[in-house]
Amino acid sequence: MTKKSFIILILVTFCLGLFLTGCPKKTVVKEGPSAATKKEEAARLEAERAKEREAREREARERSKAEIEKSLVAKKTPGIEGTVYESSLLKDIHFDFDKYDIRPGDATILKANAEVIKNYSNLKIQIEGHCDERGTEEYNLALGERRASSTKKYLTSLGITVDRVSTISYGEERPFDTGHNEEAWAKNRRAHFIITSK
Amino acid sequence: MWKHLLLILILFCSFITSVEARVYLDINAPTFIQIPIVLPKWKAIEKTPPNLSTKVYEILANDFILSGFFRVIDHTKLPLPLREKEGIPDPLVLSEWASSGGEILAAGEVYLDPNGLQVKLKFHLVDLVEQKHLIGKQYEGYLQNLRPLIHRIADEVVLQLTGERGVHNTKLAYVVRQGVGKEIFIADFDGASIQQITQNQSINISPAWSPDGKKITFTSYLRRNPDLYLIDLNGRNLQRFSFQPGLNASPSWSPDGRRIAIMMSRDGKSEIGLIDASGANPKPLTKGPGNESSPRWSPDGQWIVFSSDRSGSPQIYVMASDGSNVRRLTYEGNYNVSPSWSPKGDRIAFCGRAGGQYHIFTIEVDGSGLRKLTFNAGHHESPCWSPDGRYIAFSSTRTGSPKVFIMNANGFNQRPLTSSKGGESSPAWSMRFE
Repeated sequence: MTKKSFIILILVTFCLGLFLTGCPKKTVVKEGPSAATKKEEAARLEAERAKEREAREREARERSKAEIEKSLVAKKTPGIEGTVYESSLLKDIHFDFDKYDIRPGDATILKANAEVIKNYSNLKIQIEGHCDERGTEEYNLALGERRASSTKKYLTSLGITVDRVSTISYGEERPFDTGHNEEAWAKNRRAHFIITSK
Repeated sequence: MWKHLLLILILFCSFITSVEARVYLDINAPTFIQIPIVLPKWKAIEKTPPNLSTKVYEILANDFILSGFFRVIDHTKLPLPLREKEGIPDPLVLSEWASSGGEILAAGEVYLDPNGLQVKLKFHLVDLVEQKHLIGKQYEGYLQNLRPLIHRIADEVVLQLTGERGVHNTKLAYVVRQGVGKEIFIADFDGASIQQITQNQSINISPAWSPDGKKITFTSYLRRNPDLYLIDLNGRNLQRFSFQPGLNASPSWSPDGRRIAIMMSRDGKSEIGLIDASGANPKPLTKGPGNESSPRWSPDGQWIVFSSDRSGSPQIYVMASDGSNVRRLTYEGNYNVSPSWSPKGDRIAFCGRAGGQYHIFTIEVDGSGLRKLTFNAGHHESPCWSPDGRYIAFSSTRTGSPKVFIMNANGFNQRPLTSSKGGESSPAWSMRFE
């Protein structure tokens, strides 16, 4: 009995000892190092993802830059100084008769144009304001000025810096369509984008 | 030079003063009946070639028609005995011209020096109703100046019969479309002597005569901006003199020639502003929400008339030449632009939209007395006055492509300036050249 009790006592003490020392030891070993790695890992992953994203964006920019480069067509106009470029990626917007506000549908076009301009930060553009032939030449010069500047205002509101955009009014002097009907006039009331330096 | 250009003037008659007081035609009346004027054949004196007298006759007859004041009865319309009569009629048998149907007779002779350089034009003006000789004058000059000489005769006849000299020795500058470009041209009042002033393929618009009549001011896009330039009438000495970023457009010289009112860009809008004659010291006169265009000085240099959409639609406004005292002039219609102040100071011509078409109107400077002057189909734009305020030039699409037309200030006698095929716009009238 005494021998048996002694053995039980030893066992209990051992277990107690195990419990008192072993258990806390076990949690420190298991949980401490795993939390730190998780954080590091997350940060590492995040950095990697950012890098990837950046690379993707850079690539997109490069691609779009290349796309813009490819789209550029040099344009020389007799009687007007300098060589400028036109890009099929910068689309014209149009205006209602005697109006200069941006129509909702054309706002979408301007947003797309703004993306192109953002992606190619060397680009300097000029917005040409044009009118149809109705009304006097001088009134149309003033109207073209407003069309160009309201277009510029919209682009700068989308984050294009002011110094990258200049304006010029051509009034009714450079019709897109030389017809004398409603269809031609609608095409001629426009803001056109040219690239003055790239 | 003075002698040849300004001519020798010899008065034949002593009773001129007694008839000068009579005005045959009050051209300031809203309507008037044209004076029937008989033009017998001109006589070629001595060895003067007959084709020269024919030429003088045709130029003069055309001047009378263009003035709008006369119903010309040329020699082909005369009964037979009169039809063949040449030169100055015998003062003793003026009664034989009673059957001509005219009230006034203008007759003359031309003499060309044997060296073929100098020409003498002698002409007489007769009142057939009162059987009275009115004036007789002789003009001398170089043959190359024949047209201005003849125009002086026409101007003199207009003076005798209307109380104010004619404008036959004036020119008009205007714009002609050539391909995608526009060039500045000038022509005489009778449409002769057409001259191309610019030849640069650019957009050259809004011509205005410099105060001395020796240069044209205009806007050109040569440097990819609408800048102001000066150029000599022979197309030489092109000079860029106002080049603010944006508009430098629609120049109008102050009557004293010291300043120019223009359209200039400020905050993305077109404003009316002043520059010095040199182009220096640009200063906007207007500000606020409106978009302004086409400034024009009043003849006394105190006011500027212009168009502005500050009320929502373009209307005509007047302001003092320092930008103060702005008042609105037009209230009819929703598109009134391109004003021009009569040299007499009393009326302002402008282009207004009526029934979907653009027409020429005039209005008094207090905004009363609106008059519509064009009624043809098509668009009529950009009116400007002759220096005597008795004619208005404008562009019209009545025959298709826009052409410069001239009419009497009451809207009568509308005719194209030249026989060109068109593409013309923006006429500007010179002062008298003498």
